[in-house]
Amino acid sequence: METLNFLAQGFDVALRPINLLVALFGAFVGTVVGLLPGLGPINGVAILLPLAFALGLPPETALILLAAVYLGCEYGGRISAILLNVPGDAAAIMTTLDGYPLARQGKAGIALSLSAMSSFIGSTIATIGVVLFAPILANWAVAFGPAEYFVLMVFAIACLGGMVGDKPVKTLLSALIGLGLATVGVDATTGVYRFTFDSVGLSDGIQFVIVVIGLFSVSEMLLMLEHTATGQQAVKASGRMLFNLKEFSFTWWSTVRSSLAGFVIGVLPGAGATIASAITYMSEKRMAGTGGRFGEGDLRGVAAPEAANNASACGSLIPMLTLGVPGSGTTAVMIGALTLYNITPGPLLFEQQPDVVWGLIASLFIGNVILLVMNIPLVGLFARMLTVPTWVLVPAITVVSVVGVYAVHSTTFDLVLMAALGVFGYLLRKMDFPMSSLILGFVLGELMESNLRRALSITNGDLGILWSSPITIGLWVLTAVMLALPGIRWMRARAKAKLAHA
Amino acid sequence: MYVRIFAAVWLLVCALLAVVAWGFQAPFSYDPVGPRAYPLLLLLLMAAAAVWLLVKPGEAEDLPISWSLARKVALFIGGLFAYALLFEPLGFVLSTALAGFGLGLLFNGRPLPSLLSGVLMGTLLYGLFDYLLDVPLPMGLLAILEN
Repeated sequence: METLNFLAQGFDVALRPINLLVALFGAFVGTVVGLLPGLGPINGVAILLPLAFALGLPPETALILLAAVYLGCEYGGRISAILLNVPGDAAAIMTTLDGYPLARQGKAGIALSLSAMSSFIGSTIATIGVVLFAPILANWAVAFGPAEYFVLMVFAIACLGGMVGDKPVKTLLSALIGLGLATVGVDATTGVYRFTFDSVGLSDGIQFVIVVIGLFSVSEMLLMLEHTATGQQAVKASGRMLFNLKEFSFTWWSTVRSSLAGFVIGVLPGAGATIASAITYMSEKRMAGTGGRFGEGDLRGVAAPEAANNASACGSLIPMLTLGVPGSGTTAVMIGALTLYNITPGPLLFEQQPDVVWGLIASLFIGNVILLVMNIPLVGLFARMLTVPTWVLVPAITVVSVVGVYAVHSTTFDLVLMAALGVFGYLLRKMDFPMSSLILGFVLGELMESNLRRALSITNGDLGILWSSPITIGLWVLTAVMLALPGIRWMRARAKAKLAHA
Repeated sequence: MYVRIFAAVWLLVCALLAVVAWGFQAPFSYDPVGPRAYPLLLLLLMAAAAVWLLVKPGEAEDLPISWSLARKVALFIGGLFAYALLFEPLGFVLSTALAGFGLGLLFNGRPLPSLLSGVLMGTLLYGLFDYLLDVPLPMGLLAILEN
């Protein structure tokens, strides 16, 4: 009952004209950023973050803007996946598998409208999940001390390694590099300068915006440079534009199942929308068995991953809001946004800033409706945006990124650092190191160190505190399970290979 | 192969940074951990991961380097650094017009449209950021026009 009151209060905030306007703008920009191949939610949020800050938006409005962009990207990614066979963002990779064949069969309109609907169902189910579970988790998380927090973050990093699967060591190294970047600057406890190499520009630490824009936007431009030669033609959205009841009921259970699974995967710290859509696509394909036409244009093949990636995006807000630990790369960026406002996400946020939390949650419901309404009739307009030539697009993104970085400190040093990080990120991405782990590590870095040191101060250096409470022990067990997963998968694959060989 | 090279370089970086980190000592502190232990722990873990990759780099394919692409990448990187360094001396409008033009050409734009889009971006975005959004941007050379 209390939750409903808070939710009503949230709707009060979210329905303010400025917040509605911002949600509308965010949804539109998000969809555009999502559908442009290469740009994902992290870029969208990172580019708009300095803008939101510069505009002097109040924190709840800024957060609503960023959340609308985030959701919009998850909607938009599917458009280029279906029409162009190029995923707009990583979470839409699975959507290309059936979406493009459907478009080639002249069913682009049906695939687009049905996937918009399943995106809507996915986010709505997940948002209800947020309403139900976030307050409970926040209440529970109040009992977290520094030791519990530290182990929770170890768990978050283990989730990355376990879930991303085929390259656990690279994922781990990425996260460690992120953690390491966070140690640059003055040590908050002792005032010692670390890894600043006597540079004034680094004494304050590396700014979050610079890391995100450098590693994501700049490296993305470099990757786009490689693909400029491949001028691919979009399939024209033709045929019937709206799905019918039969098609809707055909995909209904896949959508619901994938929404629930996506939500749970989103809540796990570290695992994001990309993993959610991959897992649900695979499991739907397995469930359909020979009866499905997965890979050749099965409607469930677009409904399931789209429901899952949207659900996971909403679900990942739970650990962000309740624990201050991001559930995905994009929520990591949003935590960065909150800290710019001097708001520390965590269990106390629900007590101290109910307007921010519940305004955001209510805006998710509203944003979803806006996105559904926007996405079905405007799909033609969005599809036309796929024809913006890269020679205009890339310079424009570069300029906006540079302004975003410059706005933080107004120094050239930051711009050079951004370019350098961009080159570094490009090299890492060429070698298949996941960037989202790096960002997660960077966001967790300072929290992780300060919690570890605070915990050890309590016991005067006795490490025993790290496994002294039921919560810490439970988290260590979960961490061990997550770390063991790649090993188990590897052993199973080897056993299978042996069997096939014999 | 590339992963192996990277792992080797990274191992070296870890060693150098560990030497630097060894010097992090607080004159006095009530903190039993101190500023040194955590970075050293991270470097140790990173080095372990790098050694792993050195031994087992995985199945990343080693594509032959395409020199025409490498030239483009180098041009982009050079252009970006030039943009960063010229941002303040030339000012936003001029440096952005140049960057828009250069990057446009790099992404296969034709010269005249690229030039036009660069100049438009420089002027329009300056108006947007400086007047509407209140983001202070450097005027650079064009500051003379103001007086």
